[in-house]
Amino acid sequence: MELLQNFALGLSVALTPMNLLFCFIGALVGTLVGVLPGLGPVGAVAFLLSITFKMEPASAIIMLAGIYYGAMYGGSTTSILINIPGETASVVTCLDGYKMARQGRAGAALGISAFGSFIAGTVGVIGLMLLAPVLGRAALSFGPAEYFALTLTGLTLVAYLSQGSMIKALIMAVLGLIAGTVGMDPISGEERFTYGTLTLRDGFGLVPVAMGLFGIAEVLENLLVRGSQSVYETKIQGLLPNRQDWRDSAAPIARGSALGFFLGILPGPGPVIASFVSYAMEKRLSRYPEKFGTGVIEGVAGPEAANNAATAASFIPLLSLGIPTSAIMALFMGALMIHGIQPGPLFIARYPELFWGFIASMYVGNAMLLILNLPLIGIWVRLLKTPYAILFPLILLFCLIGVYSLNANVAEIVIMLAFGVAGFVLRRFGYEGAPFILAMVLGPIMETSLRQTLLISRGSFAIFLTRPICGVLIGLTVAFLIWPIFMRKKKDA
Amino acid sequence: MKRLDVAAAAALAALAAYVLFESTKLRAGSFRMPQTGFFPRILGVLLILLTLVELFRALRQPASADAPGKIVSDGWIRIGATLATMLGFAVVLERLGFLLATFFLMVLLLRTIEAPRWPKVFIVSLVASLLSYGLFALLLGVPLPAGILGF
Repeated sequence: MELLQNFALGLSVALTPMNLLFCFIGALVGTLVGVLPGLGPVGAVAFLLSITFKMEPASAIIMLAGIYYGAMYGGSTTSILINIPGETASVVTCLDGYKMARQGRAGAALGISAFGSFIAGTVGVIGLMLLAPVLGRAALSFGPAEYFALTLTGLTLVAYLSQGSMIKALIMAVLGLIAGTVGMDPISGEERFTYGTLTLRDGFGLVPVAMGLFGIAEVLENLLVRGSQSVYETKIQGLLPNRQDWRDSAAPIARGSALGFFLGILPGPGPVIASFVSYAMEKRLSRYPEKFGTGVIEGVAGPEAANNAATAASFIPLLSLGIPTSAIMALFMGALMIHGIQPGPLFIARYPELFWGFIASMYVGNAMLLILNLPLIGIWVRLLKTPYAILFPLILLFCLIGVYSLNANVAEIVIMLAFGVAGFVLRRFGYEGAPFILAMVLGPIMETSLRQTLLISRGSFAIFLTRPICGVLIGLTVAFLIWPIFMRKKKDA
Repeated sequence: MKRLDVAAAAALAALAAYVLFESTKLRAGSFRMPQTGFFPRILGVLLILLTLVELFRALRQPASADAPGKIVSDGWIRIGATLATMLGFAVVLERLGFLLATFFLMVLLLRTIEAPRWPKVFIVSLVASLLSYGLFALLLGVPLPAGILGF
């Protein structure tokens, strides 16, 4: 009953004309970002963060969330139509989605991906609604030791799940933690690594760093290896999947939703991993696994559902524990903190309108995307043909203005460009930006909690093992670190 | 790939050494009373260890593991010119003002990245600078530098 009351409160926030408009803008921009190459959801959220400063906190987070799940929808459109995933969570959709398009079933593929995403997104939001308050209440008993262990486990898990080398991901995470120490010491207020510059006193800004690593670096990468793309010219007819399609997809969507939800709660690239695992699972469960990759609808429905459920679930650790689990969640945390709101166990109790308004807006946004996407697919396809020659200068221009508009500080443009170059170079060497940005945000939480814990324990590290939750988390961390070495030994033997 | 991996790991190891050196300038305190330099020093040591592991791994891998994709040299020129243009934008933004700086930025970026015809370059640049001014300055109320145009 309380849940319904809360939800009604949320609807009263989400359905105000302004918030509906921001939800719509978010979903629209998200889809655009998902469709167009050159700027992923992280870059887009970083960019729009600067616009949200003057908004109400609820409107800000509603719009940013719209971008995130909008990008998940949009990314699949390009996977299906041109075999180019708009963002990483749609990579698997290429396998069968594009084949379906080649067989003249683009409509069914796009349709099932939109409906699957909608269903799974809704399941994810329901889970978020039920689980976040419970977890938040449990986290009230957490002390600094638990927070340290939680952030440590989170970062290690991100490295463990990273697509490339784990050691490289760990290096990026430590680099991010170091970047997080720049500026004032969170406890004593002393300056560190600022070299007397005023700009660095508050540390590296999240927006310039994220825009450099994910916006500028991405465009530079595209400038280097520019390939021509061709949109598969096909008449998209019948976006509604037929009865057989539904029969084939129902179970994969259900399984994808559940799987995506659980994987989404864990730190790391939740939606990406979820889509891959779902594809593998559907293939294993299928009566005709050999047909996967030739254009079967299950290969589209499962992963698309999984990545959307994971998207919603990834808000749970942020909103209930105050711990972001991915680069994009780090940006959401930044967005809330700009408005003086600290996500964490007390968040839901302190800001019920914000939390429930956000939840309600996700239902509204998911429905909006369904309505928005299906009839507008033609427009998205046409947009895809925007020449890079015009698209890239525009993305760069928006990055420049976005960063400048934060504090009217030219030095931040230079910081963004420096991180853009660094991100571009590091990526070419196989070092990914996501662990870095996450670590940079988690750094201050981690440092503060570590120092507080040591003060409490009088310098003893045993406290991390004697407190039950800490012990489990530290055990998990060690397992994630040792497992790959063990596996390699086994492979070599 | 091997040589690149080794070079990257070595460069990062050097960076780690620098971080460690810098952090020794801060008071670290003790485990009982950790101070400002405590966490950075731990991170410096950790980074050195990790980069050494990576260096060791890179040195041990077979020489001809997959080579990185061949890169055409004009790609590098495009990247250099694009970065220089953006840096130039940062330098002149507050002197020239937002509208002029943005117009020149767009002209140069458009020419650098793919060089469409001049009339198209001018039209796109003009529209982009006016629209972005309208969006940020007028609609969102972001204070943008006026410069020599006076608005």
